Amino acid sequence: MNFDKNFRVIIIDDYTTMLRILRNLLRQIGIENVEDATNGTDALGKLRTLPFNLIISDWNMQPMTGLDLLREVRADEKLKATPFIMVTAESKTDNVIAAKKAGVSNYIVKPFNAETLRAKIESVLAVKAA
Amino acid sequence: MNVKTSHPPLELGQAHTYLERVIVKLKTLDARQKQPLVEILQYISDYIGRTRSEICALRPTKDGEKFSSSTDELEEVVQETADAAGSIMTAAEAIEAIALKLPQPTSDELMAAVTKIYEASAFQDITGQRITKVVRVIQNAEKRIEALLCFCSDSELKPCGSGCGNHGTPPDDTLLNGPQTQKTANSQSDIDRMLAELG
Repeated sequence: MNFDKNFRVIIIDDYTTMLRILRNLLRQIGIENVEDATNGTDALGKLRTLPFNLIISDWNMQPMTGLDLLREVRADEKLKATPFIMVTAESKTDNVIAAKKAGVSNYIVKPFNAETLRAKIESVLAVKAA
Repeated sequence: MNVKTSHPPLELGQAHTYLERVIVKLKTLDARQKQPLVEILQYISDYIGRTRSEICALRPTKDGEKFSSSTDELEEVVQETADAAGSIMTAAEAIEAIALKLPQPTSDELMAAVTKIYEASAFQDITGQRITKVVRVIQNAEKRIEALLCFCSDSELKPCGSGCGNHGTPPDDTLLNGPQTQKTANSQSDIDRMLAELG
């Protein structure tokens, strides 16, 4: 899949190392236009300021978790159609169900590889395009 | 059942002293059937004494403050691994920049190796979350022990800190468990299957 240079992604994680990993892997996939945030509150501010084509968020963050961010996004008329991928170490069944109920587009469990990231991005964008 | 008394609540130490006084008084009585009662009360008194000694032994010593120093050490580990992961990433990014200038297939081979380094660097996130989880458990235990240590002081029992009791934990908190052990974790394919089933 080729990405337009205007294709903008926001990545959210409280670990700067993970933000750096995601940014590098996205660059290898061909996504260069990447913003980042270290928590849900910060991300929501950016999401309401700039248009984004994809949200990739961790779950376990303070003060706003990834799950709370997902709920805020889905409750916002302007943001609710944005694909949202949860990338998290939270791999319990209850977490997957809660994320799905909140409207997650896909779910990646950490640690993950570049191929999984690419496959999930392509999957959510294909669903949005359909 | 709440028993209302006009007496203020006793500290463990005071209660122990009162019990000892009761035993002494009982021993002076001339009642024939007092012996079993004295033995039971003496047993309870000894038990309280031993428990109190054990609780007081938990008090951090001069070279102690064991919990605080342990959590500090663990937080240092998190910071050091973060720094190390940052250095690894910087080196990998430099290799990637050079790889892009090289001819095929050398460039692709180097890029594949760099991708593996990026993927592996996620260890810092996982270990960091696991260590943070342990730090929270230790800090919680420390708060409980501090509350128990109040039994050893002469002052009134201090109210518990935020770590005590249920303060209306929101349901979402039960979902913040961090990385699971290999035995309990759902794999990516398990999660894909669950999502597909959930529709």
